[in-house]
Amino acid sequence: MSDSQGASGQAPADAIVVRGLSKRFRDKAAVDDISFRVQRGRFFGFLGPNGAGKSTTIKMLTGLLRPTAGGAEIEGLSLARDLLAIKGLIGVLPEDLPLYERLTGEEYLHFAGRMYGLSPQETRQRSDELLEFLSLADDRGKLIVDYSQGMKKKTALAAALIHNPRVLFLDEPLNGIDPISGRVVMDLLLRLAQKGVTLFFTSHVLDVVERLCDEVAVIHHGRIVAQGTLEQIRAHREVAEDASLEDVFLKLVAADVKRDDLSWLA
Amino acid sequence: MARLSALIRLRFRLDLRAILRARERGLGLLLVLPGLLLFSLAASAFVFFGVRSFEGQWPEELLPLLSAAATLLGAFWALSPVLTGVALSETHDVGRLLHFPIPPATLVASSLLSNLAQPAVLAELPVVLALALAVSESWAALPLVIFGILLSFAFILASSHAVGLLLHGIARNRRFQDIALSLGLAVSFLISLLPFLLLAGGAGPLLRVVHLLGATDAFAASPFAWGVRAAVHAGRGELVSFVAFGAAGAVAILAVVAGSALLTQRIYRGELSLSPPMDPARSRARMVFRGGLGALLEKDLRLAWREPALKAMLFMGLLGPLVFLVILSQTSGLGRSGGGLLLLATFTGASSIGANVFGLERRGIGSLLGFPVARWRVLVAKNLSLAILRLPGLLALGLVGSFLAPLHYLPAAGTLALVTLLIALAADNYLSILFPTPVPGAGQNPHGGAAAGVRGLGGALLGAGLFAATLLVASPFAFLAWLPLLLGVPGLWWASLPLALAGATAVYAMLVAGAASLMSRREPEMIERILGEW
Repeated sequence: MSDSQGASGQAPADAIVVRGLSKRFRDKAAVDDISFRVQRGRFFGFLGPNGAGKSTTIKMLTGLLRPTAGGAEIEGLSLARDLLAIKGLIGVLPEDLPLYERLTGEEYLHFAGRMYGLSPQETRQRSDELLEFLSLADDRGKLIVDYSQGMKKKTALAAALIHNPRVLFLDEPLNGIDPISGRVVMDLLLRLAQKGVTLFFTSHVLDVVERLCDEVAVIHHGRIVAQGTLEQIRAHREVAEDASLEDVFLKLVAADVKRDDLSWLA
Repeated sequence: MARLSALIRLRFRLDLRAILRARERGLGLLLVLPGLLLFSLAASAFVFFGVRSFEGQWPEELLPLLSAAATLLGAFWALSPVLTGVALSETHDVGRLLHFPIPPATLVASSLLSNLAQPAVLAELPVVLALALAVSESWAALPLVIFGILLSFAFILASSHAVGLLLHGIARNRRFQDIALSLGLAVSFLISLLPFLLLAGGAGPLLRVVHLLGATDAFAASPFAWGVRAAVHAGRGELVSFVAFGAAGAVAILAVVAGSALLTQRIYRGELSLSPPMDPARSRARMVFRGGLGALLEKDLRLAWREPALKAMLFMGLLGPLVFLVILSQTSGLGRSGGGLLLLATFTGASSIGANVFGLERRGIGSLLGFPVARWRVLVAKNLSLAILRLPGLLALGLVGSFLAPLHYLPAAGTLALVTLLIALAADNYLSILFPTPVPGAGQNPHGGAAAGVRGLGGALLGAGLFAATLLVASPFAFLAWLPLLLGVPGLWWASLPLALAGATAVYAMLVAGAASLMSRREPEMIERILGEW
């Protein structure tokens, strides 16, 4: 359970409920009337090609972008009314890593811990553990601006985890991370899921999604085109039983991809 | 040639698109253009009549003076990315183009040619013409004179480009770039003080400087001056000297362009290694202040200390009132009566309007607003950190006051500064929330990407309104602080000053509560405006 402020009353069965969520940028619908539910403790993969609306959806669900229409509930709290309370329950690893680059990695974690209401002792202990766990301990005193992209991503992940959130939103968490750290992160995410944390996860690495996720939703041109367990999607889309997630994904979203050969390669 | 023209077209297309895609930016340009034109015409008139009059009185000292002026102007223009923290003239982002098979010389030439059409460059052309008319003694010599002056101008642009590239190389190491920017900003500030010092000293020191220049002609060796010297010689009909300085100027331009091409190549290959060793791991982090408010405040103070531009602001705040000391010391009546000090205190406090505290967060805004911390705490922490950063300035003001005015004015001046500071900080929260302006990173082009003054007009109007409102709201408390002086009963301060501070604090609390409520409703829009790309 989260250490942070939480919803009152009985915990709902669904950690995330999305109803008719839309976001338009001028004439373009980035997200177009999507609805889905994610049960508590599920590892939920949110897939789609570039520009499909994945990051926009995460930004709306974490309160960083205002929906044009529709709404959502996180842990039974309304996104429109209880945003601050929701921010205490969730951890977010955004794609664009909004870190304070002139703080050291350790200072940033201490700052994040204090912002989530942890005591100084708790903050220090958890940040020490996270820095060790994510192999950042040797670089704890360097300014974040001097970190590599992978180190920045691990720092942002540590900050998203420091308050032991109930729901984690992870936008491409494995991008730019070396294979060893990638394995460490994946193991950690699986442990969190086993402990009841709900994970909302986007990735382009489909075999990782296939290995980790209990359930997936595929978004294309801003609309959900499939949702369920991999077996359910296979059955619904009439693909072979042993078809991989990549096969299913390509069948779902690549139908309109032109495959004409390049003229100068002929 | 095809690549060169494609690169120039690309640059013009990007510039045009940046204006067309943001109506506010286009409007801003329309508003700026008449001002730029007026400035250009005024500068042209000043140069024409100034040079004519100077030549009439001291003909032998014209060459040394123009050489010094060209060198100072050229050095400031070329070092603008270092001196002001941002580039005055935009160049192609070399990093995006280096992987194409473009010869570095073509890349450099395209940047130079594209820069010729920039408003700041075009505004200089009437000045060039005015200078040419002033130094040319016959119409026949005019083309050669113009050619000479343009040589100097081209050298300035080429040097600016070379410095930009050098900074690009330095930027590969964050510490080195920070040091370069900090030093540059410090030098820039000192240069900006020079006019005040010269004015304070009267015409005597200025004339001594001019005569010293005339006697030594120290800037004859400056490549910035060679083109201008060639122009003056052409104007006087001294063709041999014109050819000598003109050739030297042309060679200097070619040398700088070749140097820029070499720098470009070396940056591309990663050979431009100006990097000192990386930071050793620092000691363990320790947050000094307690609680969420303390953590927010400490974060802001640490960032301000580590960001060269913000650190420079701190030192300028410290030195700024000393400039006023110089100015007020020249005005016998107002300054020494104490009234000047009280006015200065009022405006020092009220000048916090426009601090743009959320725009300065840059990408960190997504992180800050992602935390579940009460928004009033965020606002109070921002206000506190800004007040702390202005504290050295206020202390310097006290120091100035103790020299200028009778000592019994100091409590009233301090209270006035605090009262107006409190109300201005609270009012500025509304401006920061409604019109956050994205701030470019140090050394980056201020007109690029989301950093351009989007909706700047609305922000400027609201800022002006808030400044007036701050003075209005602060006036009862200012009156309380002033009352003992008006009545001639200094003992009354024991009651009136605490009352004024308490009243201002109450107004501050009310304004912050309103701003926190506004902020909680406007968060997504704030993030969208600051990060820009959504």
